[in-house]
Amino acid sequence: MKSSFRFLIGIGLFLLFWEICARWIMPGIILPELGIVGREMLRLLSDTAVYQAALQTLWKVLLALGLVLVLGIVLGLLLGLSTAFYQMMRPIIMIIQAVPVVSWLSLVIFAWGIGWKGPIFIAFLSLLPMALLTTVSGVSNLDRKLLEMARVYQVPRGRVIRDIYLGSLIPFIVAIVDVSIGQTWKVILVAEYLCGSSGLGVDILSARYYVNIPRVYALTLLAVILGLITERLIKLWLGRVSQRWQPA
Amino acid sequence: MAARVEITDICKAYGRLKVIDGWDLTIGQGERMAVLGPSGAGKTTFLRMVAGLEQPDAGKIRLSSTKTAFVFQEPRLIPWRTVRDNLRFVNPSADVSAILQQLRLAGFEDYMPAQLSGGMQQRVNLARALIINPDLLILDEAFTSLDLPFKLTLIQDLLEHWHKQRFTMLMVTHDLKEALYLADRILVLSAAPARILHDFAIRLDEHRSFSDPELLRHESELLDLMTEEINHRSQ
Repeated sequence: MKSSFRFLIGIGLFLLFWEICARWIMPGIILPELGIVGREMLRLLSDTAVYQAALQTLWKVLLALGLVLVLGIVLGLLLGLSTAFYQMMRPIIMIIQAVPVVSWLSLVIFAWGIGWKGPIFIAFLSLLPMALLTTVSGVSNLDRKLLEMARVYQVPRGRVIRDIYLGSLIPFIVAIVDVSIGQTWKVILVAEYLCGSSGLGVDILSARYYVNIPRVYALTLLAVILGLITERLIKLWLGRVSQRWQPA
Repeated sequence: MAARVEITDICKAYGRLKVIDGWDLTIGQGERMAVLGPSGAGKTTFLRMVAGLEQPDAGKIRLSSTKTAFVFQEPRLIPWRTVRDNLRFVNPSADVSAILQQLRLAGFEDYMPAQLSGGMQQRVNLARALIINPDLLILDEAFTSLDLPFKLTLIQDLLEHWHKQRFTMLMVTHDLKEALYLADRILVLSAAPARILHDFAIRLDEHRSFSDPELLRHESELLDLMTEEINHRSQ
């Protein structure tokens, strides 16, 4: 009760700070007053096109996140299991990690033009190295004594991966999801803004094009709220799934 | 079928530290061998080599069967799996309830390791070893951390299983009485680089008692041997 009250106070303080800035510090086009943004938000919510745009962004986020998780964890596991494979792949991961998003953007526009593939591809490549390296570090941190035990009892590899590796990796998978959800939303929005054909990012671009700053803020707010809801729902689901691997 | 272990001239060193120096040894089928020696004499290294977890630098270890179970000093249970799943991990088709019943763990099938006391975890460790019907059972100071009542009942339960299945047993312990109670052959080692000082046959009835005068006589004989070795080293 106390913590949710403090949470509300935090939000209240943020809104108060916003209003003060909008009225007296940087009034005008850069930061519209809360009332104006609120009215724009209501207008947005009564427009079905915005729901469609939000859905467009949402499925891209979920697909990119799913790809990052599945491929990141499976490949990370393989990399963690074989030092030679990891040493071979490490430079490639470092290169992918170091390439700026704008370079990927240029390549994507050349390859696929404007559309849905670009944002997913860019989000996937931006987050894959983190998922890979986190999984590798999870594998290298697992309890070698449990692996020795499995070796003595000649337990088949598949069962060892399911019962020991996966269990040890659960905290790392939760960490990957934790970092990835917010990041995926941000990257997908930027990529939609720059090379997308639909979604909230495209709507923000269009609002900016018509210098409709309150709409930019309202769309941003909507994206933030959707991002937080997705994050909460995915974490709830992950918490339930990972319960199987929780010590008492 | 119980395993026969043949060890031919094995040596093992960690860097410059030689821990095992030229052991020749055969452990017969169904034999129960205890290994006694000072700390750092390579006892655990020896067990690990027999279990295939480490390789000797020289020499050979031959096992007539590879169905080996290892009761580690610490339980090594999978923390996120129940007792039942920990046992099924090594033998998915086994009757978990039966073995838990025999080891006085009935009703704890769905407990997580963290919900059990250290002694009970060690019981599960032993249950996991026995559930595969091993041909060779290796015990590395398996009862060291247990309090006396727990230790005695666990040793009794282990012996009961041995009488039924007659697997080969190889154990390391610091407890002379435990060795005399469980084994029918005791190896006494020197300090590192460890050599086999004495290969001591225990001629006692299979069903023993800690207060058996013969057992106590063997104990004092072994103590004399070990004291002699200590005196010899300090000269």
